[in-house]
Amino acid sequence: MMSCVRCSSCKWIPFNQMKSARFAKNCPSIARHGFHSYSGSGRVNMGLSLLEGRSELTEKVSEVIYSCQMCGACDTHCKVYREVIDINDVLLELRAKCVEDGELLLEHMAVIDALKRENNMLGEPKAARGEWARGLGLKDVNTETVEVMFHAGCRFSYDRDLWPGVRGSVRLLQAAGFEVGTAGAEESCCGGRAYELGYRGEARNFFEDMLARVRSSGAKMLVTACADGYAAFKYLYPLEGVDLPVEVFHVTQVLERAVSGGRLRPGRLPCKVTYHDPCHLGRMGEPFLGRWEGDKRLRLRSMSRTGKNGVYQPPRSVLGSIPGLELVEMERIKQYAWCCGAGGGVIDAFPEYAAWTAAERLEEAACTGAEALVTSCPWCERAFLDAARETGSPMAVRDLNELLLEACGESEGGDP
Amino acid sequence: MIPEKAYAELEKAIGADNVTREPAMLDSYSWQPFLNMSGELWVARPAAVVLPASTEEVQEVVRACNRNGLKLKALSTGWGAQGGASGDDTVLIDLRRMDRIIEIDEKNMYAVVEPYVCGGELQAECWKRGLNTHIVGAGPHASPLAGATSMHGCGNDSISMSTSSRNVLGVEWVLPSGEVLRLGSPGSGAGWFCGDGPGPSLRSIMRGTSGAFGGFGVFTKVALKLYHWPGPPTVESEGTVLDSTGELPECMSFFNCSFAGEQDSVEAMYRIGEAEIGCIQVRMVTSEFILLIMPHLFPKLVRKGGAILEFLNEAMASPFTILLAGNSPGELAYQEKVLHEIIRSCNGIAMDMSRIGPARRLMGMNLLRCTIFPTVFRFGNMFATNLDGNEALDTQNAWTHTMEGYKSAYVRAGGLIDDGGENPYMINYENNLYGHCETIYLYDHRNREHLESLEPLGFDTTLAAIEQCNVPLAAFEPVTRKLMSPLACDFNEWQKKISAAFDQNGVSDTRLYTDEEDPDYDRIDPAKLEKLKELQARFRGKERR
Repeated sequence: MMSCVRCSSCKWIPFNQMKSARFAKNCPSIARHGFHSYSGSGRVNMGLSLLEGRSELTEKVSEVIYSCQMCGACDTHCKVYREVIDINDVLLELRAKCVEDGELLLEHMAVIDALKRENNMLGEPKAARGEWARGLGLKDVNTETVEVMFHAGCRFSYDRDLWPGVRGSVRLLQAAGFEVGTAGAEESCCGGRAYELGYRGEARNFFEDMLARVRSSGAKMLVTACADGYAAFKYLYPLEGVDLPVEVFHVTQVLERAVSGGRLRPGRLPCKVTYHDPCHLGRMGEPFLGRWEGDKRLRLRSMSRTGKNGVYQPPRSVLGSIPGLELVEMERIKQYAWCCGAGGGVIDAFPEYAAWTAAERLEEAACTGAEALVTSCPWCERAFLDAARETGSPMAVRDLNELLLEACGESEGGDP
Repeated sequence: MIPEKAYAELEKAIGADNVTREPAMLDSYSWQPFLNMSGELWVARPAAVVLPASTEEVQEVVRACNRNGLKLKALSTGWGAQGGASGDDTVLIDLRRMDRIIEIDEKNMYAVVEPYVCGGELQAECWKRGLNTHIVGAGPHASPLAGATSMHGCGNDSISMSTSSRNVLGVEWVLPSGEVLRLGSPGSGAGWFCGDGPGPSLRSIMRGTSGAFGGFGVFTKVALKLYHWPGPPTVESEGTVLDSTGELPECMSFFNCSFAGEQDSVEAMYRIGEAEIGCIQVRMVTSEFILLIMPHLFPKLVRKGGAILEFLNEAMASPFTILLAGNSPGELAYQEKVLHEIIRSCNGIAMDMSRIGPARRLMGMNLLRCTIFPTVFRFGNMFATNLDGNEALDTQNAWTHTMEGYKSAYVRAGGLIDDGGENPYMINYENNLYGHCETIYLYDHRNREHLESLEPLGFDTTLAAIEQCNVPLAAFEPVTRKLMSPLACDFNEWQKKISAAFDQNGVSDTRLYTDEEDPDYDRIDPAKLEKLKELQARFRGKERR
């Protein structure tokens, strides 16, 4: 934390990528709240103040710490200039400190209580978790051996508006020839969001649960349609020493291969769309690279999470494979993308702020002239749908899988 | 602790959400290790921080400070110790919510901006209109308004776009009393096109010798002169800095020029200025570049093969990089021809880096947006400079050697990181009007030994500056100011009078503007103290004569 020189780079997208003043900022938190303490640097400075005993963790400080989507944009720009600071790790530690010291947000306590009770982030009945998959002919990983274990994630499992997307994912995998199974009602949360909220003990339980289920499934591949889950499996699990004995993919990565290998043949679908990179599939989805021992000033670039190794090209390749579809990019894309607003528990504790963040992105999307904003994360999709409804934005919000399914002339089978 | 009444007034003035006195939040403004030459890492915790959104709100805050006996200090991006408070009775005015580009006048080539617009944002907007703006050497995150009104503001593009303080065409200024004063043509309501009127021309009063660093009211708008941009509306670039890929725009090229001797290099810089070519020109030393791109290898080179670095530095004496930009292939060809002729006549070699794919992709955007230079933090964690003044290039070149003597002594003693060379950052202003040089030294602010070397190094270099008749820009430090002012027309006596006239309640935090402090004489080598006295006597005598 001492390494921060307070240059404020963490508040903007990297300067070489700046194309306008309107879309130059990268951090929703400080863009919304203003005080330096709401930036990546400011939180690091506050953390140092707490560590040195100069100040105390209060309710207000806890609120500042949690008014952050954990989107990682600050860390990406910081890494342009510095090797020595991992802002994301500091943010995680600050949240763990809040939990340790009992400076909690009531909204998050409710979410965690529901998580412990129902195994999901939405507080929905665990028995209903597998309903989204009814009629898809999926194998049960609890009793059968499968090639692909599909993890739907909490949001996709319960948010009926989004079921066409998750069902579309599975239909496409099946159409591409994969034998797919899920845990149905036994599937539980990946634990990633709980970890980001600082509830490490609870998160660890879910990590272990997931590990056991994957082991018993015999699956070779773990495929998820949830960007949060993907980031948890790729980064948080190995960070905590939990090594899943399978290859982990986001569904867009598998579909990219299926399309390029000719196993899926999308037909013509004339439309003009823009693509939103989910933070947890992009910069936050970079794999864990191991811990660098020694002086971080000498850390090899290849051992540093710079954001560039996120999943950016697969969704674009999938969109590019659809004849008639025109992809127009926003200004802030890939590792420089603006967050949807939902992450880090913000959607639970500060829904207005989450909606404002999403509305900012909808405006950016509108500036491209696109008729639809496409994404590949259920949390982003929910945030954009809500913001579009609240702001009256005419921008359509589409799930990438749903779009590809339509182009392939397939049907996800309707409401189960 | 801020009095309840005062805090309530601030809340009433700009809304409770825009005021804070939460200790941890205030500390996020107090962590200021950069340019903190005292060797401390934290500066004073302010009484409160406020976030006004308009000139009117700034006025309300200033009046509340006047009524309640509080000091005030404004900051924009707040990078460096000069952005912090000097005492716990200071209200920091964080101007972050004032981040609008008010106007870009394409015909008259100026932009009116608020304090929190950063250089990168303004340049991006200017490029879309065929215009360009000067970006300070600190990088595109710095505020153009701060550079223009309150600091110095030189940069790599100064050869073609001058320095911030000379690009001011009009200012809106909330005085320490809370009144608004508009300088230059906006002072007569005639628009933002001229710093000297019609209307009051008070640029010197506004800036003093080297800027008031937030200690003289609050600047809320500035009009900046813009320049022609021969490139495209946007330049595509991917990656970060050291792994960036982006094509150099058409009709641009850049060269690394190296010479048989350093005087040849200086002569070439003079001639380039006279020829009026070049968009960006900056001198950096070979070892610094090696350090930036190979931080893991560099310490080994220094430890085991210092001679290699020495050889490289000698072989490429005083190299500089120059970027040429033409409006047409023909104009670029002309500039290149002139450059080659100058370099050849000065016993040098101009290597066309833009013909080397990786170099072109790496450096193009980094030069144009001035993004590569803050990477000087990468290796040491921290750097400092002597912040030298502005003089003829010859004088500045000599200064690099003076600084190198001090720097290497501190490196040998373990007080600084060995970066393998002099590492001067040297640029040419306005086609030779004058030059600017700072010697960069790297240190790790987590290292106590390094921190403890800052004050004595600062004293040594101030002494050297006096001896060589240089006025370091670091005269914003109270100790340096006290030592330098009597030797330079008592500039600070004038500043104090101006400050008192405009700030009758003494509401501004003037530590970096007019305050003076004695050095800690007990910690200074007696021989150096003796030398200081001798120099003071010599130069005071000259002045009197």
